[in-house]
Amino acid sequence: MTTKSVVSEGEQIVIASQLIELGARLQVLETETSLSRERLLRLYKEIRGMSPPKGMLPFSTDWFVNWQPNIHASLFINIHRYLLQNAEVSGITAVIKSYQLYLEQISLEPKQVPVLSLTRAWTLLRFFDSKMLTLTECKKCKGSYVTHTFDLNSAYHCGLCKPPARAGKRLAFEVVN
Amino acid sequence: MRFVAYVYSEGSRVKSNEILTEIRDANLNYLMLARQMIRADRASAIFRLGLPGGLVDVLDSLSSAQVIRLASSNMMLARLRFDDEAIIEILASQGRDISLATTHAALLMAVQPFEGKQ
Repeated sequence: MTTKSVVSEGEQIVIASQLIELGARLQVLETETSLSRERLLRLYKEIRGMSPPKGMLPFSTDWFVNWQPNIHASLFINIHRYLLQNAEVSGITAVIKSYQLYLEQISLEPKQVPVLSLTRAWTLLRFFDSKMLTLTECKKCKGSYVTHTFDLNSAYHCGLCKPPARAGKRLAFEVVN
Repeated sequence: MRFVAYVYSEGSRVKSNEILTEIRDANLNYLMLARQMIRADRASAIFRLGLPGGLVDVLDSLSSAQVIRLASSNMMLARLRFDDEAIIEILASQGRDISLATTHAALLMAVQPFEGKQ
C-alpha cells in the first residue's frame, strides 16, 4: 500500500481484529492485512491479552486426511466454495465468513468440538491453491472430500460412509474420562 | 406445526382453512426471517437460504404489503433444500454416532448447487 488512507486502514483493523478473535496466528494476519507487524502485535495483545504464540505454522498436508480432521476440513472447504461461487465474496472476507459458518454448524452438534482452527483452515486453502490437496467425490454419498492430489482415488469412499475401524474411539474415551 | 390428515368429508372445510392459515403463517415467518438474515449478512444469508444472490436481493427489496401478498398462497414458498433422498436417509440414520450424521448432512448440503443453476 503506497497511499495511507485512514478509511482503508480502519477496514484492515476490522479484518485483523475479526481474525484475531477467531484465533488466527500472526503469520495469517501479516499475509492477509497490510498493517505493520508492530501494529498487529499491539492489536493482538489488546484483544487476547497476551502475546501471540511463536514458531512456525503447521505445514503438513497429512493432518487434513486424518479421519476426524478430514470431516471438518471438508465441511469448511465446501462452505467456502459455496460462498465463493454464489455469494459474491472473495479473499479473506470469504475465509472469515465460511469459518464462522463452520463454527456455527459444529456448535450445533453436542459431541463435536471445532477441530479445525482458523489458521489450519487458512493453510488448507493455501494447500488447495498450490494443488497439494484437492476435492474428491465419495462414490457413495456424492459429497466432496479433501484428499491428496496425487492419490489414486478412483473408488473413493469418505470417512463418514466407511469409517475406519477405530474412528472416533479416542474421542469417546476422552468424553467418558 | 400440525399436519392434519385431509379427508374430504363434513368437517373438511374447517380443516382445510386451518391448513391454509398455517401455510400462510409459515410463509410469512419464512419471508420475515429470510429478510432479517439478508439484512444482517447477505453472504451468510445466501448460504443459509440456499438461494441465488439475485433472488436474495429481490426478497430484500419487497415492501411489507408485497411480503404479505406473497405469503398468502395455498402453497408453501420454501421447499426442501435437497432433492436427494440420500441426505434425509443420512440425517435419519441411527448409526454409531448421531452427531456425525448431522455433520455429514451439513457437508452434503453445502455441496448442493442451486436449483436450476448448474
